Amino acid sequence: MMPSNEGLLDRIVDWLPTTLGFKRVASWTLVPYWARRTPVKPLPGGPHPSFQRGDNVQCMMNLIMPLKIKSPIGRAEAALAIAQNKDTIYAGLNNVGTVHFARFVIVGDNICMFSVYDGDFTNYIRDFIATIGEVFNEVVKLVEGGEKVTPCEKNVEAFIQWVHERDLYQVPDTATDFLRDQEALNGDRAVSPVNDDLTLLPRKLVLQLRANANVSLGNGYRAYPGFSVAQVRKQLGLGW
Amino acid sequence: MVDASVAKRLVQAIIDNLPEPVPGRRPVHTIGIGVKGKFVASDVARTYCIAEHFNGQSVDVSVRFSNGLGGLEQHDGWSDVRGMAARFHLRDGTGSDLIATTLGEFFVRNVDDFFKFSEVAKREPYERRRWWQKLGDLLQLKVPPRNPYPNETQSVDAGALRYANRHRFSQLGIFQVGLIGAPESYARASYHAVHTFWVTGPGAVRRPVRFSWQPVAGVRNTKLTDVPRDKYLFEELKDRLRRWPARFMLMMTIGEEGDALDDPTKPWPGTRIRIAMGTLTLTEVPEDQDAAGERISFNPCRLAPGIEASNDPILEARLGAYEVSREMRGGCPFRWRPDDAK
Repeated sequence: MMPSNEGLLDRIVDWLPTTLGFKRVASWTLVPYWARRTPVKPLPGGPHPSFQRGDNVQCMMNLIMPLKIKSPIGRAEAALAIAQNKDTIYAGLNNVGTVHFARFVIVGDNICMFSVYDGDFTNYIRDFIATIGEVFNEVVKLVEGGEKVTPCEKNVEAFIQWVHERDLYQVPDTATDFLRDQEALNGDRAVSPVNDDLTLLPRKLVLQLRANANVSLGNGYRAYPGFSVAQVRKQLGLGW
Repeated sequence: MVDASVAKRLVQAIIDNLPEPVPGRRPVHTIGIGVKGKFVASDVARTYCIAEHFNGQSVDVSVRFSNGLGGLEQHDGWSDVRGMAARFHLRDGTGSDLIATTLGEFFVRNVDDFFKFSEVAKREPYERRRWWQKLGDLLQLKVPPRNPYPNETQSVDAGALRYANRHRFSQLGIFQVGLIGAPESYARASYHAVHTFWVTGPGAVRRPVRFSWQPVAGVRNTKLTDVPRDKYLFEELKDRLRRWPARFMLMMTIGEEGDALDDPTKPWPGTRIRIAMGTLTLTEVPEDQDAAGERISFNPCRLAPGIEASNDPILEARLGAYEVSREMRGGCPFRWRPDDAK
């Protein structure tokens, strides 16, 4: 511990934020209070739109879909829907041709799809609908609100929007880009003179994580950034 | 090149904010240690840059690690930006420098910004925030400012925060400075050259790039809760190199159209192509520290053919400011000729 020439109350207040009790009380009282005083909107999911080439390869999708049946039976149904369609999924992913990695995961009572793909998000989902739309229908019918967008082949735009809304907000790599995301959502155009208060960053983060309970942290590590599936396969001589 | 009088004003602005004058020494990054090493480029480096030190042959390198604070007091354990200035010694006696710090992005875009920052971010008395003020911070879901370090009575933190609140371009750099901490070792920190450079490859292909050193030993800071020690980094490095060399990978990120080429406050996305350009192996802390680091006049614009400075105004200003600083302390002059390049 740091040496201190201050009094007992100073030391207690320094220690307080590290305690479980304070964190619990703050979560029950201070967080709801400040959420009412300074409401925060949920930030949209998926990658930020960009024209730059490097930003349009190896994009992440972190899709979290809450199951209708929140029990082992509901989770087993979801697992079965994926297992029964494994060949369809793999063949579909090969046909899409822009996917680096994809996997289904069950976390709590959510069926999740995490993938890394190249190109535009809406085209990625369109390709999926074309190649494995039937599998999506099987999975999505087990998910809360899924019946509104199935069959996905007949509700393409609605389905794309539905997926986008369940794709996690990707917290930027830098704290200040997180602030810029909030400002963009709130229509703040950084008019002059700027008069921010950077000391509010912790509260802004807490309240944002209240609005977006699940998020992807940072941009993610890439071993070979900037390269598409097509380039990697060509360079490695894996054919197409 | 930035006007000589502007370069002098830049250096003077830094000197004016020192706790005490440091004649004959660098006004910032005053405390440092020189190290000897060798750099070997990777197999692919030469396909991106024709500069001599990227051709794959072993090149002697002089490195000076430093604490960012100006002044003669050594506070290794304080949260501070650290420097890693490297001189690649080329065959004809000239050199190519790469000056990097643990700060990922700079906090001003140009010379005018720097002067305004210097006016706002003056040293001010720094006292421990009282308990009721901290309690107020916690009730507002703010993190109270850190307690002063032992013997710390002044700081630029409050002024820098005021500047950042008014200038969004500066927020990332100043935010990073606030969280930067103290490394366990100079060999356990990543160092970033912040500016964009242009490298020329075979066939005269030019690419905008940014360089970073990444420690093979991994990045590790001291614990925030530990009592900061004032002097440990020099001995740690000597001990480390007596036992085993310390290595750094030189990573080069290639920018794309639309990336900030002339603005060191803006980061490039992590999705840019990243090339491993080579490995620096540090082997020895020489006894003669004057020759190994203190007398070397590093300059971020001293670049081997094949590497060019971008139009970044801060990089341009550093060319002159480093020379002014060098003249003031009587360091070796900036020369390109092989006979006196030091």
